[in-house]
Amino acid sequence: MRHHVLAALFLVSAAAAASVADQSHRSQIAGVDLITYHTDVKDVVVILGSLPAGDAMAEPGNIAVPTLAGMMLDRGTKKLDKFAIAEQLDNVGAEIAFSVGTQSLEIRAKCLKKDLPLVIGLIAAELRTPALQPQEFNKAKQQFIGALEASAQNTEARAQEAFGRATFPPGHPNRPHTVSDYKAAAKAATLDELKAFHAKYYGPAHMTLVVVGDVAAAEAQAEIDKAFSGWTGGQDYVRPAMAAVLKAAGEVSVPLADKPSVSVLIGQPTGLRYKDPDALALRVGTAILGSGFTGRLMGIVRDKEGLTYNIGAAMADDSIADGRWDISASFAPALLDKGIASTRRELDRWWKDGVTDQELAARKQGLVGSYLVGLSTTTGLANAILTDVQRGYDVSRLETYPGAVKALTRDEVNSAIKNHLNPSLMVLVKAGSVAPAAH
Amino acid sequence: MMRNRMVEKFKSPVSRMILAARVGCASVAALGASYPAAASATAAPAAVQPAKAASVAQPAKAAAGAQPPAAPTPAASSTVAAGFSFVKSLGGIDEYRLDSNGLTVLLVPDHSAPVVTFQVTYQVGSRNEVTGTTGATHILEHMMFKGSEGFNDPRGNSIKQFLERVGGQFNATTSFDRTNYFATIGRESLEGYIAIEADRMRHLWLREADRQSEMTVVRNEYERGKNDPDNVLMEEVTAAAYEALPYHHPTIGWKSDIEHVPIARLREFYDTFYWPNNATVTVIGDLDTAATLNLIKKYYGVYAHSPAPIPTMYTEEPAQSGERRVTVKRPGELGTVIIAHKVPNGRDGDQPAFDILDAILSSGKNARLYRALVDQGLALNAGAGTDLHHDLSLHTVYAVLAPGAEHEQVERALLGEIAKIKSDGVTAAEVARVKQQFTAAEAYKRDGTAAIAAEINEWIAVGDWTLYVTFPQKVQLVTPADVQRVAKEYLKDDQSTTGWFIPVPPAAEKGS
Repeated sequence: MRHHVLAALFLVSAAAAASVADQSHRSQIAGVDLITYHTDVKDVVVILGSLPAGDAMAEPGNIAVPTLAGMMLDRGTKKLDKFAIAEQLDNVGAEIAFSVGTQSLEIRAKCLKKDLPLVIGLIAAELRTPALQPQEFNKAKQQFIGALEASAQNTEARAQEAFGRATFPPGHPNRPHTVSDYKAAAKAATLDELKAFHAKYYGPAHMTLVVVGDVAAAEAQAEIDKAFSGWTGGQDYVRPAMAAVLKAAGEVSVPLADKPSVSVLIGQPTGLRYKDPDALALRVGTAILGSGFTGRLMGIVRDKEGLTYNIGAAMADDSIADGRWDISASFAPALLDKGIASTRRELDRWWKDGVTDQELAARKQGLVGSYLVGLSTTTGLANAILTDVQRGYDVSRLETYPGAVKALTRDEVNSAIKNHLNPSLMVLVKAGSVAPAAH
Repeated sequence: MMRNRMVEKFKSPVSRMILAARVGCASVAALGASYPAAASATAAPAAVQPAKAASVAQPAKAAAGAQPPAAPTPAASSTVAAGFSFVKSLGGIDEYRLDSNGLTVLLVPDHSAPVVTFQVTYQVGSRNEVTGTTGATHILEHMMFKGSEGFNDPRGNSIKQFLERVGGQFNATTSFDRTNYFATIGRESLEGYIAIEADRMRHLWLREADRQSEMTVVRNEYERGKNDPDNVLMEEVTAAAYEALPYHHPTIGWKSDIEHVPIARLREFYDTFYWPNNATVTVIGDLDTAATLNLIKKYYGVYAHSPAPIPTMYTEEPAQSGERRVTVKRPGELGTVIIAHKVPNGRDGDQPAFDILDAILSSGKNARLYRALVDQGLALNAGAGTDLHHDLSLHTVYAVLAPGAEHEQVERALLGEIAKIKSDGVTAAEVARVKQQFTAAEAYKRDGTAAIAAEINEWIAVGDWTLYVTFPQKVQLVTPADVQRVAKEYLKDDQSTTGWFIPVPPAAEKGS
């Protein structure tokens, strides 16, 4: 790049190659881990956050409660009903959204600079003092059950569910529950269970907020302090003592009628968290196999053989607990066997022979380049910061990631592939118009 | 990538024009293994949001004063770069024409980050297809990644090799009215990308062997779309709503046409439409105007104007003579109701009123459809939107049924909300609230060059890129009476096309 490479990290004048330290501030405000990052995008502020209140925190009695708790947040507070909240946001064009994932309640908001006090105030009220009214609870249950029913016919969702259950043992946070279990739990969930969950898990102790955009650190800190002061509680993420280990290959079929495209997953648990020593090397090796058009899978299984529209390999779910490695693809039923055979052939070749120096050099350059391009928007920057913090890094990771990628050697990558993956023990999942697998 | 229009519609009423039936090619950005990803279980799909650069216009200011839309600055000089004629400027966007071949160039300087988005939009889409070649535009879009004379895999410099090596975020999409190719890259990579993009404008490899392997790729894209009953329903509603206009057929085409279109027909398509005078190049980001124009001239200036005029599509839609209905029955769990009406083209002066109408119906928890359907337990979600087209556009309201709800009941509720607006109008407070949302949305658009390119692309397709600047301003001039008038004028029962997805209980399915 013509500019100092770090200029791309910042949404500031290209001439000003400031450091991350100059642009970001991290502090504990009212118990919240607050990171602010000033950019020059006029008037726009993006707020992202996370709080350990995801599915993994579900009490044994009811697995649907974390999601239902998240769904209740924008349905009214002690002082405002849901329409009043919506009106306040609509009147200034601001947005607040909550979603519940495996480990976290995720917070996403966007507003104009002038409306930051309002939005932070509403986020705090929704988190701290949700109304949790019975009528709204019943509506949330109905919505959740409906969404589960819709996902029951989604080949990708069903493949993911089957894969997670085949690769992670009971009790591991990355092991999903079945759609039918969720449905039954949602029907049975009580408001008392939800209130107890909220009381136990909602608090600032392990909460992170990232505020990026046209905002001074002091201003954001003051607003957070005002809105969250006096709030207590919160629990840490679920970190399993033992990593998942795959012991034997398996095959799972999820037959769904009238699906012209079959969703396929092939993979295994890695036993690695993102920050573990070999994880980055394995990630880069995985990108050579299955990222983008030039990844081997797209280049061969799609481009040369024409067997699929979409195929790729990735590592996931490893920010907090040990994660997974998989190849995902879609095939027409008539091309399914051929597609899987080609995919396995390329997987075996990659695992056995490793990557080449040429592939590694090109991929390292590309990964660093795409990382920097991704940081060129406020939302992209905020996402990167929050993800890095969840993975256990500081904001300085924005600066050190490119160097870490560039420093990898071919031996490190190929060793990581060999040491942490084993194609002969991987699980194959097919969801769609397929016959049940024979045992 | 075939997008789930239903979900997109509900997510952002402001982004309605991006909802046009659209199929993409690469979809590779999502595969970036190391890319920081948003961790949101319910995040919106990768819908492109309309956007505008910080340096582009001041729509919020113009809107707040409810001033008339800005007029473009007329051509004054062409001294920026030899060989170009300056056409006009509006809202920070400068339009030029390459004198030698008619290529249109839009430049949008934005120096907030050292990246640029380069995009070329060809004004050819599935509206230019006929029976037997449906889906050809989209297949051709796929073939554009198979290599050109100067840039290809054997040489190690193909578009995918180059862009992935420099970390570019790139893709291509096809819709009813246009095809676009784009990449966001560090600005030092701009020349390299322009060279490749220009080469494939006229020197594309179009080989039968590549068509054969790519046909099954496209067919799997088609099949993936057919997995989703709501997607199938929307295609069937659209097919019923349009009788003569080629919007009747889906952009991805009919399966038999995808499988059998000869390479010669693809070549014919390419040689008819892929010319500089049928293309608009848009460059947004950390650019130097003169240097960028010189690069464009260097690589696109080698081509002549098309040897024959670009064919125009002259078919007109006959008047609809009564209500139309379609039904899709497939395995599933939840039903869907869609009610569609044909409305004027995307350039029409009534469209801003539809934007306000749709937001009042579907934006947020105070929206009328949320209150009447979702909050009442009739629907899981409900929304309204307008797919803006070069010719007749399509307005839709829809609802995904909540468990236990009946189609008749939900359709009645949707129609009831339309009827209320026709009879009683909307309130000034509703209109003001929606306008404020649009004002904020304009500010959000400043964040990112790719999003700006995506929205400009859609306005080019509609036929007037200046609407990127003036449309938001026109929205701010809409009155409650305008909203009521367009509802009464266009959303007539006997002009409607209604679709039901009726889920058939899945047969006993046992996994292993």
